[in-house]
Amino acid sequence: MRVANECLTAPCSAACPVQTDTRGYADAVARGDYERALELLLEANPFSSVCGRICDHPCEQACRRSKIDAPVGLRALKRFVVEHTGEHRRARRARQPVLYPERVAIVGAGPAGLTAAHDLARAGYAVTVFERGDAPGGMLGATIPRYRLPYEVVREDIDDILALGVELRTGVEIGRDVTLDDLRREGFSAILLATGLSESHSLTIPGIGSEGVLLAVPFLEAARLGTTTPVGDRVVVIGGGNVAFDVARTARRLGASEVTCACLESREEMPAHEWEITEALEEGIQVMPSWGPRAIVAEEGRVRGIELKKCLRVFDEEGRFAPTFDEGHIATLLADSVILAVGQRADLACIEGSSVQIERPGRLRYSERTMATSEPGVFACGEVATGPGSAVRAVADGHRAARAVAHYLETGELLEQEPVTPPTLGELPDAVAEKVRRVAPVALRHAPAEARVTDFGDFEAGYSEAEALREARRCLACAAGAFADDDRCAGCLTCVRVCPYGVATVDKTAAMPEEMCQACGLCAAECPAAAIALQRFGTYRMREELSALLAQIPESELPRPLVVSYCCLFEVTSRSFVRAHPADLAETGIARVMVPCVARLSVPDILAPYELGADAVVIISCADGECMYPTAEQRLAGRVRRAKALLDEIGLGAERLDHWKTHESAEVSWTAFWEISKRKLAQTAVKETVG
Amino acid sequence: MIVAEQKPFGQVKEFVEGYRKIMVAGCGACVTVCLVGGEAEVKVLASGLRIAHLQEGKATEVLEACVTRQCEPEFNDPLVERIREEGVEAVISLACGVGVNLLAEALEDVPVFPGVNTTFFGGVKEAGTWLELCAGCGECILHLTGGICPVARCAKSIMNGPCGGTNDGKCELGGETACAWALIIERMERLGTLDQLEAVQPARDWSTGHYGGPRRMTVEAVQAVAKEE
Repeated sequence: MRVANECLTAPCSAACPVQTDTRGYADAVARGDYERALELLLEANPFSSVCGRICDHPCEQACRRSKIDAPVGLRALKRFVVEHTGEHRRARRARQPVLYPERVAIVGAGPAGLTAAHDLARAGYAVTVFERGDAPGGMLGATIPRYRLPYEVVREDIDDILALGVELRTGVEIGRDVTLDDLRREGFSAILLATGLSESHSLTIPGIGSEGVLLAVPFLEAARLGTTTPVGDRVVVIGGGNVAFDVARTARRLGASEVTCACLESREEMPAHEWEITEALEEGIQVMPSWGPRAIVAEEGRVRGIELKKCLRVFDEEGRFAPTFDEGHIATLLADSVILAVGQRADLACIEGSSVQIERPGRLRYSERTMATSEPGVFACGEVATGPGSAVRAVADGHRAARAVAHYLETGELLEQEPVTPPTLGELPDAVAEKVRRVAPVALRHAPAEARVTDFGDFEAGYSEAEALREARRCLACAAGAFADDDRCAGCLTCVRVCPYGVATVDKTAAMPEEMCQACGLCAAECPAAAIALQRFGTYRMREELSALLAQIPESELPRPLVVSYCCLFEVTSRSFVRAHPADLAETGIARVMVPCVARLSVPDILAPYELGADAVVIISCADGECMYPTAEQRLAGRVRRAKALLDEIGLGAERLDHWKTHESAEVSWTAFWEISKRKLAQTAVKETVG
Repeated sequence: MIVAEQKPFGQVKEFVEGYRKIMVAGCGACVTVCLVGGEAEVKVLASGLRIAHLQEGKATEVLEACVTRQCEPEFNDPLVERIREEGVEAVISLACGVGVNLLAEALEDVPVFPGVNTTFFGGVKEAGTWLELCAGCGECILHLTGGICPVARCAKSIMNGPCGGTNDGKCELGGETACAWALIIERMERLGTLDQLEAVQPARDWSTGHYGGPRRMTVEAVQAVAKEE
């Protein structure tokens, strides 16, 4: 009996806060099935469009390919999928039936609240989302700069959610226009607070009240609306996190030529993402790590500059925030504006007039495990509860909250939710990593910095189709490789001898440790006991697949000569050959079977088409020397020789089997190969008649 | 391990000419290990037969099966049952000769044809190459020859040293074959036991080998116990 180990999650999925099936969508993209990829994305994350732009991709940080060359560009692949499946996505929208009488009120239309709304609506509850602003989206729409996240992208996700039947009431501030008790009276059985961290912290340094000293959140909001007052030429931003860089890069785009980010943290400690910092530096922003704000230099109530003092250390021995300074080491910067991006806190006005309790100003009394506040039936999620986090973390929290609320509505009880850490693979062993073929990642194309800073346009070009296909193929398919059937395995050591990566071992029977297997399929194709299967390809199963393909056309309409062509999936630069339409076959006479590396075809796979009546088989592998898997080209060549010898012995003739190597790309060369093979067949037929 | 080689396709196809329901039966032991008769090769041969018959416009059914070891009656029994149930008319066994013999015995009235030529007892030299290393002579003298068998590895099975044809370490037959006695001498030199070759050995009793007729081995421990009265 063959049993795949389904217990291990791929490291990328395990690292994702919502456990997106990253490995699955990379595979779907590589197979040209973008729609399936979209389904996998949306299954885990209703904010897939947003995350395709701004996610901080913990999946990439966990990607085991990093050891070989670079992680797979999973975030950019996500962007590619959502950008290429718009029609399909809109078509799949459907209003969800309301199955239960209980209504849920969600306060705040940010990613956490809207994700909870999405899940609860899908579960059959009537959901109303209250948003005090004019438009939904929370920080995604209000403050994240447009050059990182255009609002239309946010709307793609939000529109899907609203299409489920979620009611959105904008311009309503809970706590001011309507209290939580009012909501109760209105008939809502559960309330979820998802109001985020909408207020910027300020500082208590001298001169902080001067004109020209701004706070990050209102500044970024105004920038989104186009209502900022001029920032001047020289801007100093206090802060070292992502918001500080959003502010700095925004100021740059508003015309400031000298923008400096000064922060307490050392360069290594700076909490902003490396890529944010790099892009900012490219745009001419200066970074001054290990400096703290001392005083605003003002003249007639207007900011002229800022005094900074050297920060010696940010965290104490216990890791607590306790910066120490060298008061004697001062720097003064000239500034037309000083913008503070030193953290955010919650605006808890929504609980005014209710009995929901706070822990201390700005912090709700809240249980992380049950997501409950002090008030029965009132829950909280997202940054208002967890503190600052990324968009995908907000989505994860929204999912958790939906489960908590649904459980409460169903049973009246609170649900304890433990954090989930799925078991996953360790690092790729060095001995295997060195044998894997290096493939440089597709570089993301950014507009040059000088052009970028002139406006708020989108500066990252998404992958083209060819690029997406190329990048998706770099996925190692961790934990989706080969597994051997103990009952059939004869311990013959063929797999050990054939494995190009030194992965297969035999104790009494064979094993291909998941930590190491590269899913090349060579062992499965060579195993004399047919004991090895791959999680992703049916070795020895081509006969069934072809039968199914050919069955779609009535026997009388099958074209003659009938040619079955096994083609290497890794050579296509578009979907044009990937989708096999029955009409295609009737028209061209070529039954195409895309195989992710044709070297995984066993001899019976190569012979199968003839059993089903094919006149010829054409195998098209990748360009010479290009195969992803070492030794695979030679192994395949050996199997082709064997098949040809057998075809001769049978009397069919070795010329009924052709093996081509792609030239440049599938689109460039395959049609010509098929023509040549078909013409050769026609000539053979003539010879047979004449001879 | 028993090593075998595949019979030419044409020969095997001729064996089953005229039958309409054939089975190709592989063996999961030695012939799997030497890559000629396991489940994968069953699929190859079955496929080949189907293609050939399709070309000839014959409607032959070719079934596939593989047994853990065809040298065990208990493993063959379920296969025999299936052959009877399905009305299989002829079987091609890819097992070594032992398996063919036993399967044929179990089936009696259904012909069993060999799909491979069983050749020798051998071991792996390097991936994909097997060498004959043992002749099953029944009276092992490897303690006298440094672990190198002159019965199997000398073309003439000479017992007392190289013949005059030994050619720079190679057998006079030509090709790659090493002179077994050259190997023995080199080995025993390294072992420091070369002088043992000077001991006089009595004339060998060859009757322990196949030359003395088909052999039988029994182990009492697992023989069926007589029912107590």
